[in-house]
Amino acid sequence: MEKNEKKSDLEATPHPRIYYYPGCSLMSTARDLGDSLFQMARLVGSWLEELNDWNCCGASPAHSVNQNYALLLAGRNLVLAERQGIRDLFVICPSCFVRLRTAEKTLIAEPDKNDLLEEAVGKRYQGSVRLRFFLEVGSASQMNVFREAVINPLKGLKGVLYFGCLLTRPEWITGFDVLPYEDELRSFVEALGVETLDWGYGKQCCGAHLALTKPDHVDTLVDRIRDHARRVGANCMISFCPLCQVNMELRGKNSEPLPVFYVSELIGMACRLPRTEKWIRKHLVDPRELLAEHNLL
Amino acid sequence: MQVDRSFIREVEERSGQRFGACFHCMACSGGCPVSDIMDYLPNQIVRMMQLGLRKEVLESRAIWVCVGCYSCVSQCPNRIHIPYMMDALRELALEEGVKIGEPDIWTFHREFLKQVDKRGRVYELEFMARYKLSTMSLFSDMGSGMKMLLNGRLELFPHTVKKLHEVRKIREVCYGKK
Repeated sequence: MEKNEKKSDLEATPHPRIYYYPGCSLMSTARDLGDSLFQMARLVGSWLEELNDWNCCGASPAHSVNQNYALLLAGRNLVLAERQGIRDLFVICPSCFVRLRTAEKTLIAEPDKNDLLEEAVGKRYQGSVRLRFFLEVGSASQMNVFREAVINPLKGLKGVLYFGCLLTRPEWITGFDVLPYEDELRSFVEALGVETLDWGYGKQCCGAHLALTKPDHVDTLVDRIRDHARRVGANCMISFCPLCQVNMELRGKNSEPLPVFYVSELIGMACRLPRTEKWIRKHLVDPRELLAEHNLL
Repeated sequence: MQVDRSFIREVEERSGQRFGACFHCMACSGGCPVSDIMDYLPNQIVRMMQLGLRKEVLESRAIWVCVGCYSCVSQCPNRIHIPYMMDALRELALEEGVKIGEPDIWTFHREFLKQVDKRGRVYELEFMARYKLSTMSLFSDMGSGMKMLLNGRLELFPHTVKKLHEVRKIREVCYGKK
């Protein structure tokens, strides 16, 4: 059914398709992020279109043990985008974004690495793809679409912005001017009616994949972060990365759990997009009590 | 005393970093979120490389514990990219077949990459199960795992890249033919 919908919509409207690289977690642990993003795109009248036949960017394991492997796995996706004539490729996960960006820079700067890519996939990367982080979808004029669509301001939510490690770091790879970018995100979240609080732990690492291999240590990291969120009076956290979101909800032993929302979920709730109920139920820390308390459901 | 400089030169070449710039201010170690569980701090690894302590560095736990969160890079006054250094060190440790400092973390990476090799994407359910089987930790996190499954946050069926031969070829190019 969704396929038919897609077709008719494309024929009916001149709106551009937004091409995106989902990354593995969007299909599974971050499904709620995926669902809410689709609704978000519909709101601005666009369709999200997956990069055809994308492969895993290699995540942490590939660069951890074989740098060329990481480079070529990410590089194949760049070549695919180029073959498919995609100019702007939006990346959902901050970690994928850093992997793809690093590959892009290396392939252009070091021709011998591009030779390797050619040997593997039969084509060199020419450098015509613009990699963008998914939140840039809404930058400039389109952000106003979201602002105007708010019919259910999220009054009562007091959140801390949890950027995690890789959202803005390091800036010479992500290409973001860190402070203005963070300010923009904050003012956007505030436009949805959420009160944002100052705290010092916005970029402290959640422990990433050590959650599986060193759970005890990740518990202490999460406890420390969540404890500080509680201390400044937050009743929820706002995350941008699938891995941070899971770790924050799953780990930690000595601090009281907090619901952790993706920014796209907040948009969904504030604009009362369809299927909101469905994705907020997927949380490991059920946010419904908090939402009901402030009549936000 | 003769110091063996070949090791640090090799790491410099592989990682594209110049460790002569390090003045051991310890900014990297101070801000490291996982330094608590490292046997040597990041700047100590640099020092050990400067002293030519090849075996000690390659067999350390620290090189596996680093998660690559880049907080050291943002804090280094000389912009030495410690995570790139760690990447190069793990690569060397594996190539030389030394004793791995953190076998579980290596298992994690290996199982993840097996998924990539098998389908081009990661099927989390199988990946978790295989990791847990190989590390004999099958029942840890069972509760939250079930919850995620029931909440629809784990994919039930795997997806495979259509042109899987391209992904396999990438592996062949990087690891040599098996």
